[in-house]
Amino acid sequence: MNDGPLIVQSDKTLLLEIDHEQAADCRRAIAPFAELERSPEHVHTYRLTPLGLWNARAAGHDAEQVVDTLLEYSRYPVPHSLLVDVAETMARYGRLRLEKHPVHGLVLASTDRPVLEEVLRAKKVAGMLGARIDDDSVAVHPSERGNLKQALLKLGWPAEDYAGYVDGEAHAIDLLEDEWQLRSYQREAADSFWHGGSGVVVLPCGAGKTLVGAASMAHAKATTLILVTNTVSARQWKDELVRRTSLTEDEIGEYSGAVKEVRPVTIATYQVLTMKRKGVYPHLELLDARDWGLIVYDEVHLLPAPIFRMTANLQARRRIGLTATLVREDGREGDVFSLIGPKRYDAPWKDIESQGWIAPADCTEVRVTLPEDERLVYATSEPEERYRLASCTHRKVDVVRDLVRKHAGRPMLVIGQYIEQLDELAAAIDAPVIKGETTVKERQRLFGAFRSGEIDRLVVSKVANFSIDLPSAEVAVQVSGSFGSRQEEAQRLGRLLRPGDPGPHGERKVAKFYTVVSRDTVDADFAQNRQRFLAEQGYAYRIVDAEDLGSEDLTS
Amino acid sequence: MSTSGHRSLADQLRAWPDERLAGLLSLRPDLVSPAPHDSGQLASRAATRSSLQRALDQLSRLELYVLDALVVAGHTDPDEVVGLVRAAPEAVRTALGRLLDAALVWEGTSGLRVLTGVSEVHVGGPEAGVSGLRPRSTDPLPAAEVERRVAEVSEQARTMLHAVLDAGGEATSGSSRHTVSPADARTPAEELLSRRLLVRRTDGVVVLPGEVGLVLRGGRTTTEPVDEVPVVPTSSRGADMVARAASGAAFEAVRRVELLLETWGTHPPSALRSGGLGVRDLKAATTLLGLDEAGTALLVETAAAAGLLAQGLGRESEPAWEPTDDYDRWLGLGLAARWRVLVRAWLTSPRMPALVGRKDPAGKTWNALVPELVGAHQVETRRLTLDALASLDPDAVPASGTGLPGVVARVSWLRPRRPRNRAEQVAWAVEEAAVLGMTGLGGLPDYARTLLAGDEDAAVAALDALLPDPVEQVLLQADLTAVAPGPLTSALARRLASVADVESRGGATVYRFTPTSVRRSLDLGWTAAELHDFLGTVSATPVPQPLSYLVDDTARTFGSVRVGAAEAFLRSDDETALAELLHHPRAQTLGLRRIAPTVLVTATPIDVLLPRLRELGAAPVVEGPDGEVRVAAPDQLRARVPRERRAGAAAASRAARAEASVAHVVSAVRSGDRAAASRAEPGAPVSPADALSALREAIEARRTVVIGYVDQQGRRGDRVVDPLRLDGGVLTGFDHRADDEMRFAVHRVHSVRLAD
Repeated sequence: MNDGPLIVQSDKTLLLEIDHEQAADCRRAIAPFAELERSPEHVHTYRLTPLGLWNARAAGHDAEQVVDTLLEYSRYPVPHSLLVDVAETMARYGRLRLEKHPVHGLVLASTDRPVLEEVLRAKKVAGMLGARIDDDSVAVHPSERGNLKQALLKLGWPAEDYAGYVDGEAHAIDLLEDEWQLRSYQREAADSFWHGGSGVVVLPCGAGKTLVGAASMAHAKATTLILVTNTVSARQWKDELVRRTSLTEDEIGEYSGAVKEVRPVTIATYQVLTMKRKGVYPHLELLDARDWGLIVYDEVHLLPAPIFRMTANLQARRRIGLTATLVREDGREGDVFSLIGPKRYDAPWKDIESQGWIAPADCTEVRVTLPEDERLVYATSEPEERYRLASCTHRKVDVVRDLVRKHAGRPMLVIGQYIEQLDELAAAIDAPVIKGETTVKERQRLFGAFRSGEIDRLVVSKVANFSIDLPSAEVAVQVSGSFGSRQEEAQRLGRLLRPGDPGPHGERKVAKFYTVVSRDTVDADFAQNRQRFLAEQGYAYRIVDAEDLGSEDLTS
Repeated sequence: MSTSGHRSLADQLRAWPDERLAGLLSLRPDLVSPAPHDSGQLASRAATRSSLQRALDQLSRLELYVLDALVVAGHTDPDEVVGLVRAAPEAVRTALGRLLDAALVWEGTSGLRVLTGVSEVHVGGPEAGVSGLRPRSTDPLPAAEVERRVAEVSEQARTMLHAVLDAGGEATSGSSRHTVSPADARTPAEELLSRRLLVRRTDGVVVLPGEVGLVLRGGRTTTEPVDEVPVVPTSSRGADMVARAASGAAFEAVRRVELLLETWGTHPPSALRSGGLGVRDLKAATTLLGLDEAGTALLVETAAAAGLLAQGLGRESEPAWEPTDDYDRWLGLGLAARWRVLVRAWLTSPRMPALVGRKDPAGKTWNALVPELVGAHQVETRRLTLDALASLDPDAVPASGTGLPGVVARVSWLRPRRPRNRAEQVAWAVEEAAVLGMTGLGGLPDYARTLLAGDEDAAVAALDALLPDPVEQVLLQADLTAVAPGPLTSALARRLASVADVESRGGATVYRFTPTSVRRSLDLGWTAAELHDFLGTVSATPVPQPLSYLVDDTARTFGSVRVGAAEAFLRSDDETALAELLHHPRAQTLGLRRIAPTVLVTATPIDVLLPRLRELGAAPVVEGPDGEVRVAAPDQLRARVPRERRAGAAAASRAARAEASVAHVVSAVRSGDRAAASRAEPGAPVSPADALSALREAIEARRTVVIGYVDQQGRRGDRVVDPLRLDGGVLTGFDHRADDEMRFAVHRVHSVRLAD
């Protein structure tokens, strides 16, 4: 019997025992083709999915390598059917190729005629294909390149895209690595994206995805369109690009609700692009405003559906997606794969954390008991009201006040969903609040003050969930969220994981992450989702009762 | 071999020693039951068509060809047979020995003789070992003479001769004359007929005598060698790879059977009226087991064949498929021993699980576990298939693509005659063996070879070494999962399954703790302390804090709402009044219980309770289900009008029926009386001829007779009958006892006399 660290289950999950001496080797070997599903303290779970296997194929791994890896590290005999399935799934990728034909332009070609015949007869692709050129290839309407790839993936025959990219309008962009260096994994990520053509880079929050974007731009040396989630994030991208690259302020344009500039490098928000007026998207022409050489999608897991449709028409341009997680709450991972591209780089949080690039975190859930009168109100309320009622209990204010006292002097964020609650909290702990109505200017001022240490407490609504750099935050308290979204949890934790400057003795901060939930309510049910997510990410997780908070030693 | 010879097969059997006779009976088990009286009967039974067919079905192609050669040759001796069959002499002699042992051939005074029925049964094509040659003539021409004559005839005639030979040695002669001399022959057919290369049979058909066919085929019955056992094409795979893959499959098969039966133990699928398992239940099982339909059907059938699954009475006394007592014993065994039980059942089971889900000839879908799903050749095919695989080198597996046809060819060489769908059955056997872990990567692992060789204990030990060791501890994690990194011991697995839900199965098992699963264990009577204790002992690592918290949190709310049954409740805002009532000495028998300061409950129904409470001086009012006070005026009792009164007509008809039945009884009694009276002067038994004449007489005279009659159950009795007709040996008459016309077989009438 083999004594490997891996157990291959017949339901296509792989269990990796991480205390095993070969665990590190095994992890490296299976990472290209298996998706890490959860990584709690002893046994990590990976899953073999068609997308994962195709990602591996796209990265140049073949079925034999995958099978050999499984056999080599597996402790028990590997179910035969699973090996067969792996080989069959992987063989499906690349049977069909999108190519550039000197005469016919874009063609769909295959060396496997039955597959081509099967695909040609599928209803889904009917309108996308032109005339049959010969037995093995068929013309494709250039406008349908993206839609076709989407449809083929749904049919289970993902096409490899060899049709190449337009160079775009050249524009000199260089990294200015004078006082800083690109981290090794950032360089690897940018390189593997560039060699792969298009695709997605998965890096945890705080790991410096902006720099991966900048490095890719330096590779492309062409006009670039950057799509981000909101205006604040757009400003941060701009600042970062000015600081880290040869680009000047004048070369970078912002295209948002407030300003509409089109410059060689243009940063646009999803919101403005997807704005619909009288049934049309008036700002869509931005996509064709210039001959873009590169399109950067920030936070690709949030990409709204209309952008997917637009992206389908941009298949001739290089695309890079940046994200902390491939998990989409709407399950559209397949669209990301076919329209933006396969995963090109991935590094698990824990690895980057252990390298010291992001701060470790210590998670605690504080449970408060609703007072009798609030319980009654809660019990008799309408279902849609319940979450708000449970989340906004006044007991939470007391807990937050305790925590502020406990962590006095350490920069602290209080994150919540409901404005009244935030206002109440802000008043209770005497801190400024940032919410949807706060002007961008005011926001930037407050973030700036927080970053510089001028203020050490900030109450923020969900506007701060994404892409805002607050490296100095050491303690975060979340009092309510949008119904236990895992991805929100990842983002909020991300606020804390940006490494601040080391202390005077070189010690790194250990971030504290508190979640305050109401016991025996839907709030606690949702919290379970979040708790599971964090535990699966390998963070130490504790649950304490609000009453015990005083006796707990939380300052360690 | 004795040269003396015997007069008949019976003679030969009489002369055989006991062992040889025993050998015959084990080769042809159908001769054993019912036990024959003597050698004569044994010999005659061995020569019956059905018995011969069975015996021939057990022969290999070479043996069939040897038998065929014997049929062609007529009386012959072993040496000549060896010369006739195109095969290695040794192989032919062995085959001949087997034919003798099976009493298909016996040694007569004039040489070896084939049982007479054999030539009729031994039919088919070259696959079935039939050369297509006719028996030799009674006075065959010498081979040299035949050769000479064949050389003489024209080219056309020779072509015709070969055509007749290939067509089975028979042809119609058409208008050819049959009595011509070679010189007069005008057509090729006449050339052949005149030289006795074709011989006319009495029915006008011409046949090609065996001796001519032999010459045309170069002195042998076939032109191709017949002793080449087909070889299975192989590719090479390490024996350890094969063993690993096979043991993996064996482990999975055992695990899946356990999972299936464990599930069916609590949720048994109902049995169809036909005795099978419903399609939907099988579908559910495929999802549960993560197997395809064929694999699931195999495991279900194998579990049933092993006696682990049987029809029982489900919860609602509807027939359902449930695990048996043997299942519990089976669970106590080690993994490899459990596998042995399954495989042994599979090897000896005539069931055909591969047909499940397909249509039968009538177009109905086969269900798993229906009694009809059996095949006569399943056991044999499985064994032959595995033997064919066992004949390969340990590090060789059947080549992909060509391997299976190779196995089929080999099996059909060994048993060419039946069944016709052998190829399909071999494919089934190969697939089933893979699912059960008898094969891995298509090849037979060492432990399976040992098992087939008969040493089951050694096989189990060898498999045991390959299977993962059971583990006693699990890894608990902060995301509320527990991972058992190997198969758990049965008892531990059950306990763990009661406190956590299984999330993923396989070599390892992943359990998840949820509030629901923890509550379930509390429902089963665990306490929080016991749970903590259990988790502490079972975990190889410290118990994560969130898990302890979950247990405590669930235990905290457990039982905070109490549910119970009561007939009535008493409630009052006046606590003292209730307390007074509760402690009233005369209220003891009411069984009052206080569940809150202002509420009492009781098991006494309201209609008893109300008067008692009034007696005790209380002034209760009754609350309706909606909480409204109900004024309880005492109900006035009224009985219902009985139905009979209302329906006079029905009563009348019932009276008529009663009267009729009285008349019936009376007539029966009367006829019984008459029979008894006649019995006083018992009529002597009569012959059928006498009875006929007596009855005819009675018909003519229209007299009533008493006949002594033996009915179909063999009971003797007297019947009082008015005879009406006689035809075809049957009497039709009016039976006074039955009060109806009846028919009596005359040969069963043993006495006839006139009634008074």
